[in-house]
Amino acid sequence: MSVCPPYAPFFGFSGVTAAVSSTVGAAYGTSKAGIGIAGLGQFKPELIMKSLIPVVMSGIIAVYGLVVSVLIAGGLDPAKDYSLYAGFIHLAAGLSCGFTGLAAGYAVGIVGDSCVRAYLHESKVFVAMVLILIFAEVLGLYGLIVALILNTRTTDDVQC
Amino acid sequence: MSDPRIQVAKLQEQSAAGGVLATLLAFAVALAVVPIGSYFISLWYLFDGNATYAAITAIVAANIVLVSYVVISMWEDSSSDKTSQVGKQFETKKSR
Repeated sequence: MSVCPPYAPFFGFSGVTAAVSSTVGAAYGTSKAGIGIAGLGQFKPELIMKSLIPVVMSGIIAVYGLVVSVLIAGGLDPAKDYSLYAGFIHLAAGLSCGFTGLAAGYAVGIVGDSCVRAYLHESKVFVAMVLILIFAEVLGLYGLIVALILNTRTTDDVQC
Repeated sequence: MSDPRIQVAKLQEQSAAGGVLATLLAFAVALAVVPIGSYFISLWYLFDGNATYAAITAIVAANIVLVSYVVISMWEDSSSDKTSQVGKQFETKKSR
């Protein structure tokens, strides 16, 4: 049983791909909030600029996944030894960021849709909407922090 | 077409349509370019290859773009409120 088998990079690259599944959450968030904005835009087009905040937040969630993917991919180098330990770390980092991105995007979409529709009738909902969206956003941030902490462990000394 | 309310509304609509699209395009480009650009620039020139600090820089940059969008959208909303208040002034003068 070798510590650095040749199939170890498979797990590393799987981590890279798993991190981009936060884009699925961001897509759901964008589309669900977009439905609400399309509804609001029929009646008060001047509110559209402020109502696009959920869409921008969904974009940020996708950026979290992108940054983790680039971070993990930067640690993969065929010229160096790559242990199975590092492969599993990268897979865990990618999965944690991807799943929390899914959750955060889902939350942003549903909250964005309902709050944007409510903002049409009551302008004081705006502050509440931004607060709730921030809390939904940091769910994705937690996964990113876990991914960052995990990724620092790949420099642990593992002798092949 | 000398009714000042109609003039104000037309000006508002024109400035709103052009201005909103330009702002949105600028933010879309910024959201795409700023995080990944700041990641690589800080990785190569600031942090000497320490990828964790570069990732933190990229996340902070992305959140700065988000906060600036929120601030700009609220500022634009309040400035368009002021033009509608000017329109209301015309309204009260006319009703005298």
